[in-house]
Amino acid sequence: MHASVPNPSAPQAVGSVMVVGGGVAGVQAALDLTELGYKVWLVEKSGAIGGVMARLDKTFPTNDCSLCILAPKLVEAGRDPNIEILTLAELVELSGSAGNFVATVRKQPRYIDEEVCTGCGQCTLYCLKEIGNGFNENLEKSHAAHIDYSQAVPTSYYIDAKACLRLNYDTCGLCAVACQAGAIRFDDTEKILSIPVGAVILAPGFGRVSDEVMARYGLGQFQDVVTAFEHERLMCASGPTGGEILRLSDRKHPKKIAFLQCIGSRDETCGNNYCSSVCCMYAIKQATLAREHDPGCEITFFSMDVRTHGKGFDAARERAIEEGNFRVIHARPPRVEDVFGGGLLLTWATEDGRHHSEKFDLVVLSQGLEAPADAAGLARAAGIDLNGYLFARTDTYAPLATSRPGVYVIGAFQGPKDIPDSVTQAGGAAALCAGQLAPGRGTATTKASFPAERDIVGEEPRIGVFVCHCGINIGGVVKVPKVAEYAKTLPHVVYATDNLYSCSQDTQRLLVETIHQHRLNRLVVAACTPRTHEPLFQATLREAGLNRSLFEMANIRDQCSWVHMHEPEAATEKAKDAVRMAVAKAAHLTALPEQQLPVTPSALVVGGGLAGMTAALAIADQGFAVTLVEREKELGGRALLLTWDRFGRDPRKNVAGLIAKVKAHPRITVHTRAAVAAVSGYVGNFTTTLATAKGSVVVNHGVMVVATGGRPYEPKQYCHGESPKILTQLELEKKLGSGRPLARNAKQVAMIQCVGSRGEDLAYCSRVCCGQALKNSLRLRKLRPDLAITVLYRDMRAYGFLEDDYRAAREAGVLFVRYQPEKKPEVSIGKGGAVSVRYHDPLLRDEVELDADLLVLSTGIVPEDPTRLARMLKVPVTAEKFFLEAHVKLQPVDLPVDGTYVCGLAHSPRSMDETIAQAQAAAGRACQPLARGSITPAPIVSRIDPAKCIGCGACETFCPYKAIEIYKADKGRKARTLTASCKGCGVCAARCPTMAIDMGRFTFAGIMAQIDAFGRGI
Amino acid sequence: MSQTHSPKILGFLCNWCCYTAADSAGVGRYQYPPNLRVIRMMCTGRLDPSFPLEGLARGADGIFVGGCHPGECHYIDGNYHALVSAALVHEMLARLGVNKERFLIDWASAAEGPNFVRIITAFTHRVAALGPLGAAEGRETEALRLRLAEAAEAARGRKIRTGLINASREMMQGGDFSRKAIAGLVAGKCAKALAELTGEAVP
Repeated sequence: MHASVPNPSAPQAVGSVMVVGGGVAGVQAALDLTELGYKVWLVEKSGAIGGVMARLDKTFPTNDCSLCILAPKLVEAGRDPNIEILTLAELVELSGSAGNFVATVRKQPRYIDEEVCTGCGQCTLYCLKEIGNGFNENLEKSHAAHIDYSQAVPTSYYIDAKACLRLNYDTCGLCAVACQAGAIRFDDTEKILSIPVGAVILAPGFGRVSDEVMARYGLGQFQDVVTAFEHERLMCASGPTGGEILRLSDRKHPKKIAFLQCIGSRDETCGNNYCSSVCCMYAIKQATLAREHDPGCEITFFSMDVRTHGKGFDAARERAIEEGNFRVIHARPPRVEDVFGGGLLLTWATEDGRHHSEKFDLVVLSQGLEAPADAAGLARAAGIDLNGYLFARTDTYAPLATSRPGVYVIGAFQGPKDIPDSVTQAGGAAALCAGQLAPGRGTATTKASFPAERDIVGEEPRIGVFVCHCGINIGGVVKVPKVAEYAKTLPHVVYATDNLYSCSQDTQRLLVETIHQHRLNRLVVAACTPRTHEPLFQATLREAGLNRSLFEMANIRDQCSWVHMHEPEAATEKAKDAVRMAVAKAAHLTALPEQQLPVTPSALVVGGGLAGMTAALAIADQGFAVTLVEREKELGGRALLLTWDRFGRDPRKNVAGLIAKVKAHPRITVHTRAAVAAVSGYVGNFTTTLATAKGSVVVNHGVMVVATGGRPYEPKQYCHGESPKILTQLELEKKLGSGRPLARNAKQVAMIQCVGSRGEDLAYCSRVCCGQALKNSLRLRKLRPDLAITVLYRDMRAYGFLEDDYRAAREAGVLFVRYQPEKKPEVSIGKGGAVSVRYHDPLLRDEVELDADLLVLSTGIVPEDPTRLARMLKVPVTAEKFFLEAHVKLQPVDLPVDGTYVCGLAHSPRSMDETIAQAQAAAGRACQPLARGSITPAPIVSRIDPAKCIGCGACETFCPYKAIEIYKADKGRKARTLTASCKGCGVCAARCPTMAIDMGRFTFAGIMAQIDAFGRGI
Repeated sequence: MSQTHSPKILGFLCNWCCYTAADSAGVGRYQYPPNLRVIRMMCTGRLDPSFPLEGLARGADGIFVGGCHPGECHYIDGNYHALVSAALVHEMLARLGVNKERFLIDWASAAEGPNFVRIITAFTHRVAALGPLGAAEGRETEALRLRLAEAAEAARGRKIRTGLINASREMMQGGDFSRKAIAGLVAGKCAKALAELTGEAVP
């Protein structure tokens, strides 16, 4: 902990932000803020940042290793000179007002000096006092002197004051003797810090449903009833069982696992009427992984509705079910009893009213999310209002703003949500802070500095090889220690070892130490993939005083252990080959100079709907010029089709307000009836040609936000278009807005969900239609309380607080009947235009026919065809024609091409509040290169050897970026590279007749060495 | 796959599409035969025509080049230039009597993990069926490898590369990026140099 805290009266106050909570949302907000030019105080109540995501084994739906994708962010936050991490700390008071707050933080003593601790772990080894290991859900023991997990940031141990024998009884003190570094401080005391900040972001995460609620399902009573959080740790390689799923009663592998959904969610008896929004996903993930651990394992999933409503989530659900041995039973959570001789007996009622019972080996309770345990205290300290469930109160049209100006809320405290939505909100809140504190940008930050680069010219290659287990992701298939041993035998390798997680902060420190100790001048890491982790290791190289180009990665996870899961021998051989090839290439790597390119400080936003306008405003508020392009004559987009939100307000008023703001903003230029005709350039320096009614307009801009939106799906099913009594939800909404919505004598309304969605014309779930049906049902009932309404659905996806609407609708008498996709309702139009709906009623176990005075079809959202724009930008789209983000979890609004971002319906179907948060996130991310003012592209440019060049000009002809020019030299013409324009494709090198051109990092000699090394394995 | 032969396959994958597709196949846990070894390049346009020949000369039974779909190259048109290099490789293989099926250039976008798996699985099976280099050709392996090494050397020579420059130039001017058209251009522009390589009479 840095002792000096700036004087509250110091002028830099406005340039800093406090983030409360160091989970993935808080860490992301902190990183985004420093990129935007603000100093961050990251206040974490536990001993390390990382939050719940650090405890997850994998993440849905990609089953990516959770810590592997989180750890680089934690390391980055730990390294960032503009992020001050305060652990064991809490916000106790916030005085002042937006722009000029003074935050009072109480920081508990760690009793081990963070600056001195080397993370060696001797203190834990000698500590006599055992305590439960909270990180591993108390399934194993730890000690009073401990670290939460081995990849923790800060990488420093601390002492549990309640347990420590020395602090409580003045005995022991062994740790102080054992600590070689002398880091133990028994006289450490609580500190109260007053920190001036311009804004505050609350990201305290969620609390958990209490043990009392879970006791109803046998938790605490039966050993083989575990919570999902416990199950997660049982699956994890760094968990208490080393990654084996074992029953706690007999340490045997369970063969039949039951997942009980909605434990403490959608449950009035415990006060949690809302849906926790994430449990279906994590349970499907855990079930999939349980079968990865043991392919013979049978899964039964007890759920009222399977709510997999996110992008790509339904596909993951289907994949899990298709793999077989996966039953979904629609039922309330079963009763759990134990069975003599082991096992658990579950009893449940299905929707047809029948009762069933069956024996299982293991029961996993999908524990719901609650507001954080200290929500009330935090709300008091921060001066914000809470909702009825003690989550932060926000508004649909300002989803990240709390009731107090300058205080924002993100992540699960804003409402239960998953990682991508939390990360998105983090980006959005960072943008809002940056907008609010624009004059303070850069006033409180310092520049990161690296040690001077060691000159390695003339040195023999000295290569270090690190082979990663990645928990069990690699180590479970590839024999990692063998690969490391093999690496030691390769030419130029002077050091090789294996690590559990190569990406953790302690490993980064180890890497730096090893580089110094063995005087390494090249580094090879065999691990996941360079696409995600190369920047992390390159930063470590710079910290060790080496040029970042002296790095090579061998992909032994994504392209090896994960794709050859059942062939450990062959996978190990492949990993060895990959390491040999990487080492061979590494020997040829050289230090490459870096270049800095200026950035055009403006943005282009494509699409003038809710997303595009919100993004444009959030960028312009940060001080950058924006060009907003809209295809239609007017701004507004599809939000104008909605006439009523779930609180009874007219969203069009909000949209009109937005339009007025956009038009009035001095930094926003609007082009309507305009389209993107051509795009060239790269991050920082794009040039886009717009086709407008007044001819073409050329715009130079640094970044681009894609918000091209979507449109309603046009149904052909269920006789739509054949009767005025058959409408879509949007058509109904229009009618409801126009005053004469219903025939006077209308008595019966029917609604059909998932029309065209989830496997029909649209493969995906459109997320919003269930909420829309509930909203319109309630609206109809309010209008005509005698109206009978029957909703035919597959799964009511009333996630989060929408569950309130679902309950309100049921209480208002709306009838909900589930249909199976193989037995859809049938609609016919009889004589006189009577609309008849036939469906199977599971409770009656019979066909039912209903005369509908109004039939409403819940149809999904189709993205506007992205093909042309995607081709121009060179970005991928999904099979469903949504833009594909760079990383599902951690870069949810970035497109894979630097400097391009996506939000709104072009990304995936979403509600208005989610669209607004996402658009603000895109604006935040987009402003990062603009705020930085320059970019440092990878130094992979071409170099031309003038001695070999014959000046033929072929390279100049073929270069797609005009990055090569011919100049007149003493002896005729020669070619040279304009490094600022070169993108490193290498076409010039492949076509040069005299092989005078070579590429940075992808040199001819390096690739030849790889080919040669490939051959040497045969 | 053949019971008797597990082929060695070397792949050159572009960073933006095929390499990403290969990663996403891993994320999705799609399984495929463990025969492929990968060299990452920023773009298939970097593919020196000598690389695939070197790969075969040094022990590969099959070579795969994977890039972005035509028209979707991250670097605008690098994969078209890769097709020119590939056409030369196919032409040389034919002249050396190496089965052309040992060399494949194909595309998978970043979002197409399953497509990548399909391509690699089919290619692995096809190369396995051909057996080790020389088996399907009815030639002695070592002798064939020597000839391939000579071909690789020739592909680094000025004569052939000048032919490729002319072929690339005409391709870009003509705008016909079909494999057939490109093969015709390469065969024509490199005819003389290729004839020298195989000791045929100069046409």
